[in-house]
Amino acid sequence: MITAQDLTKRYGGKTVVHDLSFTVRPGTVTGFLGPNGAGKSTTMRMILGLDTPTRGHATVGGRAYAAHPAPLHEVGALLEARSVHPGRTAHHHLRALALTHGIPRSRVDHVLDVTGLTDVAHRRVKGFSLGMGQRLGMAAALLGDPATVVLDEPVNGLDPEGVLWIRNLLKSLAAEGRTVLVSSHLMSEMALTADHLVIIGRGRLLADTTVAHFVRQSGAGTVKVVTPEAETLMRLLSAPGVDIAGPTPGTLEVHGTDAEHIGRTAAAHGIPVFELTPDNASLEEAFMDLTRDAVEFTAAPEGAVA
Amino acid sequence: MTTATTTVPYRVTPTGVLRSEWHKLRTLRSTWITLVATSALTLAMGAGISAAYDGSGEGELDTVVLVLLGTQFAQVNLGVLGILSTAGEYSTGQIRATMTAVPRRLPVLWSKAAVLAAITFPLTLWTNLLTFPLAQSFLTGTDHAASLGDPGILRALIGNAAGLALLAVLALAIGALVRSVPIATGAFIGLVMIVPEVLAMLPYDFVDDAVRLFPGRALETLTTAQQLPGSTSPGTALLAMLLWTVATLAAAALVLKRRDV
Repeated sequence: MITAQDLTKRYGGKTVVHDLSFTVRPGTVTGFLGPNGAGKSTTMRMILGLDTPTRGHATVGGRAYAAHPAPLHEVGALLEARSVHPGRTAHHHLRALALTHGIPRSRVDHVLDVTGLTDVAHRRVKGFSLGMGQRLGMAAALLGDPATVVLDEPVNGLDPEGVLWIRNLLKSLAAEGRTVLVSSHLMSEMALTADHLVIIGRGRLLADTTVAHFVRQSGAGTVKVVTPEAETLMRLLSAPGVDIAGPTPGTLEVHGTDAEHIGRTAAAHGIPVFELTPDNASLEEAFMDLTRDAVEFTAAPEGAVA
Repeated sequence: MTTATTTVPYRVTPTGVLRSEWHKLRTLRSTWITLVATSALTLAMGAGISAAYDGSGEGELDTVVLVLLGTQFAQVNLGVLGILSTAGEYSTGQIRATMTAVPRRLPVLWSKAAVLAAITFPLTLWTNLLTFPLAQSFLTGTDHAASLGDPGILRALIGNAAGLALLAVLALAIGALVRSVPIATGAFIGLVMIVPEVLAMLPYDFVDDAVRLFPGRALETLTTAQQLPGSTSPGTALLAMLLWTVATLAAAALVLKRRDV
């Protein structure tokens, strides 16, 4: 469990994070969303005690990160920028971190295995691709068998296989009862992995909500269905809060429910479906509208002076 | 994957941090290159200078200072090694991983200093104990002929090793203070080699006295077997170096604790 209370960070005259309060609960994946420069990385650095908040505080498992006797067992972190000496091998990098906590060598081998780095464990990090670097960062995050995982843009630089691996890993970590906070600037990516959303813009909290609620509220989440039995499926799907349009024969645009429910309903009644497409572009738009408003809101007073 | 609810006896301990820092230092190729190069240079220069010595002209130079002229390189080499272990972590980003593992931060600085001292002191001591007899094999019959048992010789050889170890830790502290390898290297070389030379040109007696307590000059005093009348005693020189190092390390600790990583 992560709790941020009135977190504020000022660098010189610039306020990067502004009175940010939110809670990240165990057992779910919480997406930490915001455009680049919104203050996501700074917030994560404050949670990990790398940056000291100007005001407010952040706790992990009820205590400040630095107050835990075994910090790596409490929180595993993958930070955006690379945090490895390029001249050291992956194995030695993890081993050095493990030694601080008395984490056994077998655990180092285990996380190298989980992240698929066993074959390159004794190669120097210098020669690693961006994706391999991210995997090493994940290995370091998992090293202490942490109750909470904090990941800053973990899919950056990963190939499609790597992206899928991260998605499944995050879900399984949450399913094991861990707290998972993962940042991204892509709403579509978060819609696939996260259950809960904390959205910030210009260092301020814009939304603290569930993915399902955000999708419903934003009016996004239209699912396009192509089926020869459009009328039958329309009747089966109709329910309070579900809005169905049929712009062309054989095509439905469904609002208020998700692709999974539509697919299952169709299958249960033996209705063939040729296409079932969630409209993530409109989801991305809703997210951009939300953050754009925040940008305009904070920029307005300056404009008024000029 | 094991579950998060299992209680695991992991814990950050001073010994753990010490072992981690030792592991970090020994798993970098540059560490071994620097250490081997430092020893080899000291030995080679000691032998070379002694072999070329014609038995006259350098009489005013102390015998141990002459034999250990390689110290000039050793202090830069070992200084850079110290700077890389602290400032180097900021340039690679390793510092984020280090400080996430040990968020109390200060044990990292103490461990880095202890590990560096523990490796540089014995290394330079053994190098000196090998260089001296090697150089002496060329110096028999000259005015620099001496043996390990002569007064002051062993003390100077040990003093030089202690001084070099302290200088390395001083450089490490400067690296932690400024967090940049080039700036720290410049500051270290400036403090040890340039500032005393510049200050010595000023025509004031008290400046002369103060300059003798600068780390580079104090190291020279420590390396001297035959003390000149009126010069600083080896004990004072060692104390001066200790104070420089401790003060810089304390400043580095304060900055490390206060500033964002």
